[in-house]
Formats: sequence, C-alpha cells, structure tokens
Amino acid sequence: MFKDKVFQVRRDGGCWEAGWGRLRRPVGSFATQNKGYMISILGIMLLALLLSACSGPFSSQTPTPTSTTTQNSGFPTFPTTALALRTPAFGSSGQVAPTVKVLASADPSLIVQFPLVPASIKTLFPDATGLVTVVQGNPQTNDFDTLIVDVQKMPPNVKFTVFLTELSAKPFGHAEYVGDVITRADGSGESIFHLITFVAFAADARNSNVTSADQSGDASGIQLEHVGMWFDGVTFARKVLNSPNIPGTPFDGGGGALHAGPQAMTDGQKLSVI
Amino acid sequence: MQLLRKISLSGSLLLALLLITTMWVGVTAASASPAKANTFPAVREVSASHSSNSNVELLHRLIRSGRLAPTVHVLNSLPPTTIVQFPLVPSSIKNAFPQATGLVTIVRGDRNNAFSDTVTVDVQNMPPNITFTIFYIEFASKPFGNVEYVADLTTRGDGSGETIFQNIAFVAFAMDARNPGTSQDGQEGTTSGINLEHMGMWFSQLQDAQKVLNDDTLNGTIFDGGNPPLHAGPQAMTDGQTAPVF
Repeated sequence: MFKDKVFQVRRDGGCWEAGWGRLRRPVGSFATQNKGYMISILGIMLLALLLSACSGPFSSQTPTPTSTTTQNSGFPTFPTTALALRTPAFGSSGQVAPTVKVLASADPSLIVQFPLVPASIKTLFPDATGLVTVVQGNPQTNDFDTLIVDVQKMPPNVKFTVFLTELSAKPFGHAEYVGDVITRADGSGESIFHLITFVAFAADARNSNVTSADQSGDASGIQLEHVGMWFDGVTFARKVLNSPNIPGTPFDGGGGALHAGPQAMTDGQKLSVI
Repeated sequence: MQLLRKISLSGSLLLALLLITTMWVGVTAASASPAKANTFPAVREVSASHSSNSNVELLHRLIRSGRLAPTVHVLNSLPPTTIVQFPLVPSSIKNAFPQATGLVTIVRGDRNNAFSDTVTVDVQNMPPNITFTIFYIEFASKPFGNVEYVADLTTRGDGSGETIFQNIAFVAFAMDARNPGTSQDGQEGTTSGINLEHMGMWFSQLQDAQKVLNDDTLNGTIFDGGNPPLHAGPQAMTDGQTAPVF
C-alpha cells in the first residue's frame, strides 16, 4: 500500500495511475506485489547472467603475453611488446644450401624457407616459382613438421606430386611421396602437409648399418633432404609440354607403374635444403 | 524503493523483448528459407545412398578375399570418401603393458582430388610420458623391410596419446628412383616402388625402452630420425597382420 501510494503521488496522473494499477492487480495485496518485484529482480538477474555469458569468452581470448605481469587485483594484463626473435641454428656451414633462409622466429620455433625452380617446364613456364616453408613448433617436442608448398605461374589445372628426395636432380635416389598440389586455373596452388620433414630418411631395416650425414650429425638410413614436384600423370605432361615421347617415371603412387611424368619443379641444390 | 521498482520493471521488459526478438528471428529465418527447411530430408537421402560407395565395396571385397587384413574396418562412408580403421597391438611391451591398445583411422576425401590422407593414431594404456615414433613399413614384424618415418606420439601420464598427421598413406611406397621396381597393391594393381602397407610404433629412445621394459640388453634400432644412428628402441606396437592394413 505504501509503495502504491508513493507511486500515485509521484505520477500524479489519473490515466497512468489507473494503467499501472491494472498491471499491478490486485493492487491491494502487499504479498502479491512483493512477489511481482521478486519476479522482476529474478528477470534482471537472468538478463545479467545472459549478458555475462555472452561477453565472457571474448574477454578471455587474449594473446599469450610476452611476460605475464600481474596487477594488484590479480588479473593478468595484455602484452604490450612483441616476442623477442632469434635466428636458430640450422645445420653447419657448407652443409645447407645457400638458397635456404632460416627465419628469425620466436623461441623455440624453427622456420626455414627455400625456393623451387622450374625443371622440365622451364622452357614453357620460365616464370614458374615455388616457395617451400617448413615449420617446427618446438624441435624438442613436436610430433611432426608442417610442410607448405606454394606455387605460382605453373601449368594450370594440373596435379603434381611432391616428394622428398635424396638428390635434387637425376637420378634423384631414394624418394618419399608426401602429397599432391593441384594448380588452379591461374597456375597457382598450395598444399600443406604434416609429417616428419627435417629428419626424413629412407631405410631398409634389413640393412640397419647404413648411415648418412644429417644436420644433426650421422643418422640412420639415407637422408632425404631435397624437395621436388613431378607431373602426376605422364599423359598430362606430354600434353602440357607438347612432347609425345616423354617417358613415364615412378613419381606417383597408385595404379600403373611408371605412370607419372617428369620432374616439374626442383630445389636445384646440391647441398641439403631440409 | 521507487528506483528499484523502476529498474525491476525495465529489466523484465528488456528480457521479455530479448526473448521475443530471438523467437521472432528464428521463426522468420525458418519460414523465409524453404531450402534450409529441406536440409534434413536431403541429408537423409544422401545417407540412404551410402551403400553405393564403390571404393567401400572394393575394400570389403579385398577383405573377403584376404588381400586386406581381417582386422581392417572399412566404414560405410559417403562417396567419395574412404575411411578405414584398424587396431594396433602391443609387441615388445606386451608383457609389461598387456592392456595397451591402439586405433588407427585413415581418412581420404577423394582419391583423385585429395592432397593427402589424414591419419589419426590413438593409444591407451601405453607406457606413460614416452615418445614413440610412427613408421609406415613393408612388413608388420621383423625384418620390417623398407620403412618411412611419418610422425611421433608422446603419451600422457595416464598412458593415453593421440597424434594426427596428413601425408600420403593409402598409396605410400618406398623406392630408389635408380631402380624403383614394382609391387602389387590390392586396391591399385601394379604400382611403382615397394608398397608400405603396415604401421608400427617404436620407442624413440633406446634408454626409454631399457628402463620401461627393465632390460639393459636391448639393442638400438634405426626407427627414429636424427643423430646418432641406432638410437631408437624396439617396436612397441604393431598392426600384427600379414595382409596389408591400408
């Protein structure tokens, strides 16, 4: 009753008063009015919960701070500076090809990049380019490396295979088939693979005494330290290169021996690139 | 008190408005998009036709004829996908970890257009906090033959672990391009090189194996990359099959 009275005094208008009176019916019951307020407060609380739930995850998505500073209130602050970069060691002098760029990156990551250049397609696609990026998040603990192959100005709409090889040019030696790249209509293409790359090797376990030099020193098996791309099908290669007598090669998996075409792109180096 | 009452009423009205708006938007979106309304029947239609996945049928035939191991499950996936699963069982760790299990799942999107296959290896009840290497191999057990190092898996404190990698799996092969040779593949016919159709896991460090298996006489193996040679331990898990598993 008291609340209603105050309301009437402040509103001072018959229509408004009557209207609100109807909304709050039965006006005369204090207990019922109280219940109404409780429901209203409950509604506000629900709304507040809803709003806090919506805003919660966004506020927690903060980048990892370079150094976590804590305010007096105990809440972590946002980073204000970039991570420090360093250029990690990758192989020794005279062991890694001069085309290999080791990027300055944040510890503990290792990122190397090197180009691919046209091989059999050089005459018809002299501007073809390739860039290989190999990323190791943490060389001590990663499960595999990420190998990214980007190409431009290649023969359009053609499927190429990607191999890790012992040698960058003929006879190529031991090889490991890792994936495919299918070029778009403009001759560009990209593929991303997740597999062991930096310490890839070929081995026949029956001859376990075979070793070779890796960036880390002597290692088991024969190191696969080059990257090349091949025409997935010799038929396509003959058509693209306008040469009907190109022989098939083993550089693709699956049915039909020697159904792949010639090498299209190579790192072209004698020293290792991975 | 008057202020409190105002806030209460405003809050309630706002909440009601929010709910009504949400419901209205939902109803409007559903009625304005008949195509979306038909999504469920369309999915059911496609699902009903999954038995027409020719590659799944081929793989089932290979299992029946013994050209694919009986432990391989070929999932009834929609075309053009191929999904196979097979178990790994303990080898050198069998006595110490008889309950160790492994499950391999290989997914290929489209044989002709996929850049690579996606391989998931899940293990349970393995030696905890140990790094294992994963290899595609010519034979499931000794002498293993030609091999390809594909990834690592480090177990957690409870002996479980998972790793997912993307590379060529279904048609993986080893070769020396100077003399590639050929081999027979159940799915593909005659192929270049030597097919790698088995999978195994090895202790990446001999010392780990000697400690876990309590055996100082174990010898080093080639089954890890990097320096020094023969620093890996024995095979821990194998598919254990004579016929190919992928």
